[in-house]
Amino acid sequence: MTRLVSGSLPRLLAPALIGAALGIVLQVIEPEARLYALVSPGLLAGTAGLLCTLVLAAVTLIRQRAAVATQAAVHDAVAKAAEDRLRFLMRLDHELKNPLTAIRAGLANIEQAGDTGTAGTSPGTALASVSAQANRITQLLGDLRKLADLETREIEAAPVDLVSLLHEVREAVDAIPSASERVIQVNVPRAPWPLPLIEGDRDLLFIALQNLVANAVKFSAPGDTVEVRASEDGSWVLLEVADTGAGIPEDEIGEVWQELARGRAARSLPGTGIGLALVRVVVIRHGGQVAIRSRDGQGTVVSIRLPVQGRAGTAPVVAEPRQRRDPRGKVPV
Amino acid sequence: MGRQRARPVVILADDDNAITSNLAPFLERAGLTVHVASDGEAVLELVERLDPDGCILDVLMPRLDGREALRRLRADGHWLPVVLLTQVGESTERAIALDEGADDYLNKPFDPYELLARLRAVMRRARPGRRPLSASPALRAGDLRMDRISRRAWLRDAELVLTPKAMLLLDYLLTHPDELLTRDRLLEVLWGFEFPVGTRAVDNRIAELRRALGDDAVRPEWIATVPGQGYRFVAKVDEVR
Repeated sequence: MTRLVSGSLPRLLAPALIGAALGIVLQVIEPEARLYALVSPGLLAGTAGLLCTLVLAAVTLIRQRAAVATQAAVHDAVAKAAEDRLRFLMRLDHELKNPLTAIRAGLANIEQAGDTGTAGTSPGTALASVSAQANRITQLLGDLRKLADLETREIEAAPVDLVSLLHEVREAVDAIPSASERVIQVNVPRAPWPLPLIEGDRDLLFIALQNLVANAVKFSAPGDTVEVRASEDGSWVLLEVADTGAGIPEDEIGEVWQELARGRAARSLPGTGIGLALVRVVVIRHGGQVAIRSRDGQGTVVSIRLPVQGRAGTAPVVAEPRQRRDPRGKVPV
Repeated sequence: MGRQRARPVVILADDDNAITSNLAPFLERAGLTVHVASDGEAVLELVERLDPDGCILDVLMPRLDGREALRRLRADGHWLPVVLLTQVGESTERAIALDEGADDYLNKPFDPYELLARLRAVMRRARPGRRPLSASPALRAGDLRMDRISRRAWLRDAELVLTPKAMLLLDYLLTHPDELLTRDRLLEVLWGFEFPVGTRAVDNRIAELRRALGDDAVRPEWIATVPGQGYRFVAKVDEVR
């Protein structure tokens, strides 16, 4: 900024000096002319020049400041991306090392059984275990690829009726064995008018909503309530999946949208920790937003906002292939 | 071709020795004679020399990759059935691109039993010495006609208006006629990844196709439901010459 001012000083003064000089020259050439007529053209030119210079200087200053701010934002984003990447690699390491250790132990058991003919663990049990762990890794890899694929693939832009979709989700969740022990309610508005259509890919929205409701069932106990609520405020449809389940500890809530993030309570349950990351990607690629609120021990509510079909200015970002909507959602696969 | 072999001869092409050294004995035990190739050029050479009954082709290989090897095979008039091992996501629109002419696709990592089932299916479907349906640019089934290159279909003279996914599904049905296609398999064709249990993604697209074709699910002319399992394309499919 200092450089701008000091470098600009001669430029700032130049028009005024030129104006004054012009006035003096005119005075000398036309000594009989009236003073205001002589001075004012010079002054006018000088003032106009000064104003132009000031405006240009202001524009330059604003641009420089904006550039500094952008640079800072880029720097922050890069730092955040680097941190996210590191955390992701640590979680990946964590998710892989257990099944791989189990596989190596299983193979050792099989070898020993082959050597001696007897062993504590029969080859059959060891084989079943190795096979199960291989499937676990396959599942993990499949989920990560699914995520990477969803971030880039073209999203279909067809009208979607969320009411019928929510009922389909309900039916799918009912097929989960423990679902019958929860009180699951789906509330969609009928008055003053039904829920408006949104635009997008029905199959992907099914995955997102099924994930949320299945999560609510998974992290609650028999007798708990799971509510699926839908509402509308003109431009957006709001979908909420709420449960009276275990809730998420405060120190874990910030990470829940990250791929492979699994809370301490989830460690003992099957899953790869990809569900909410998947929900986030699907919703963002539909031009929507996600949010989560939770109280440890009381329950959780996940909210999704999706743009109503055909609303100007809030049209969903769909059918744009290979465009990342969220630079932090990147998965190195 | 057209000869009967007691043990079908297949080529297994993958540059990763860990894959071939485990899969080859597995396929041998299943009653196949397996020849391993580690790059595309070796595949071309083996096909010329052995006139095999089938081929499993990995996409990523040195020197000549799987896609290019397949293109050359087809260009030279070799119509042996080929299962292409692809990456996730490539099994969808991009991979079913006609210029490759693979008979089926499978994503790594796969279940070896699934690979065997697919290989047997494509070998059973093979029409010795003739171009497979999956390598044909245009197909016909009764009054239904499909131009696979431009991805357009007509019923009698009326062009069908279909979503891209339904068109992709129709393409797969037409190139795999009279085969039981499970929902899981069709999901993989459409999406390339697993869906939650209970999804109706496939059924919805089938319903879209049936609406467009005016097909009756109870007395189907084209798409039959196999209860509890999936679907079967029941009409006879021919190349349009």
